[in-house]
Amino acid sequence: MSNPYLLIIVTSSMCGLIAGFVMHRSSFCVTGMFRDMFLFKNYYMMRMLILLIVVSMAIFEVGTIFGLLSANPFPLLGPPSLATILGGVLFGFAMVLAGGCVVGTLYKMGSGSVLSVIAFIGLLAGSAFYAEIHHLWSALAKSTSFTSGQITLPQLFNTPSYLLTFPIAIVAGLYLFKVKDKLTRPSSVDGYIQPWKVAIILALLGSVSYLFVGMPLGITTSYAKLGASVEMIFAREHVFSLPYFTGLPLSYIPPFTDTLITGGAGPKLDAVAAIQYPLVLFITLGATLSAVILKEFKIHYRLPLKQYVTVLVGGFFLGLAARMVPGCNIWHLWGGVPILSMQSLIYAIALLPGTWLGSKFLAKYIITH
Amino acid sequence: MNNNKQQLVLDIRGQICPSCLLIALKEVTINADKLNNKEMSILILSDDRHATATIPDAVHSMGFSTTISKTDDGYEILINKK
Repeated sequence: MSNPYLLIIVTSSMCGLIAGFVMHRSSFCVTGMFRDMFLFKNYYMMRMLILLIVVSMAIFEVGTIFGLLSANPFPLLGPPSLATILGGVLFGFAMVLAGGCVVGTLYKMGSGSVLSVIAFIGLLAGSAFYAEIHHLWSALAKSTSFTSGQITLPQLFNTPSYLLTFPIAIVAGLYLFKVKDKLTRPSSVDGYIQPWKVAIILALLGSVSYLFVGMPLGITTSYAKLGASVEMIFAREHVFSLPYFTGLPLSYIPPFTDTLITGGAGPKLDAVAAIQYPLVLFITLGATLSAVILKEFKIHYRLPLKQYVTVLVGGFFLGLAARMVPGCNIWHLWGGVPILSMQSLIYAIALLPGTWLGSKFLAKYIITH
Repeated sequence: MNNNKQQLVLDIRGQICPSCLLIALKEVTINADKLNNKEMSILILSDDRHATATIPDAVHSMGFSTTISKTDDGYEILINKK
């Protein structure tokens, strides 16, 4: 194909539109999956996350065996380090305060939530702010790396990945079969799509992205990029003086092409922009489309000031944490965990204490009526 | 039907998770006696789709019933003694 960006942009736009639509219909909130375990002892949505991971794990493995997926591990994953743990804990805490993670904020914003718009602004600011501390943080990540370059568990154990993924997928599959009566949720809301169906749809979208873009869904670098683009208006020279905004960590040959493309967090329209901007835009628009069809697109802004401040601060630290990890829930939980990326697995575990802390903090200090 | 029944209206339109459920649970707990004696019902106005699943889930286990209806401005969740 002559233009390596065309397939990427089309795939990301379609995946985003469908993802935003179905996540709105089923309230598929990853933050809620973790938070509600601690706040309400409700494990329903966590089972949906397990389902999504298991289905993705099976598809990614089969795709790798048949040579359909270009690279395993896919680009931009790194070795785990202390930075992953600290970033994961902060991410878990901040996503509870922000009322949604990097993707949840998009579908809620798209359906008319003013609080999520504020969280989105905080996310851009926090992501761009990371550029100021990048030199310190990347030094910490390098000096505390847990492996000598290995990214996935199969690489660490020097074993074919299917020897690990298939047993894990089978055990998790048996667990889900055992609790199969608890996989549906009664709902009388209009246009509801059962979360288990959405989990499978999202696993399929991740697979489509892996096949055509060369990696599963991910969007966080584009928040720094968008933040940097805004910062350019006020401090153009400063933006170009920061190594984080001039580096090009993404450098790969996308599937079905023979052209090397590169991208980074700077304001330039590059490979990262081609992959992630369409996702950000179309996840939001997919949710708007869903809400408008249901006649549920309503804007309410008369809310306690405390809540506005909380989501803004939460969004800021969420954006910062997403760069510290680096990555977010969909990148690591829906993409990295299924291929047993150690960074992703450690991030997932680090989310637990962070979400627990966030839930306690929110229930005690923020929500009053 | 008790005509003198008090109705507490909670307008939480615009609020997102988990405040919807936290606020609902708080009010249901505070007013549990009145709800149990059928002296009161609670009407929640919300535009958060998630709340229409989580609030009934939680209050059903406390012995209350819910009726959900869609309005021009979101959803109404009516909580009563079963």
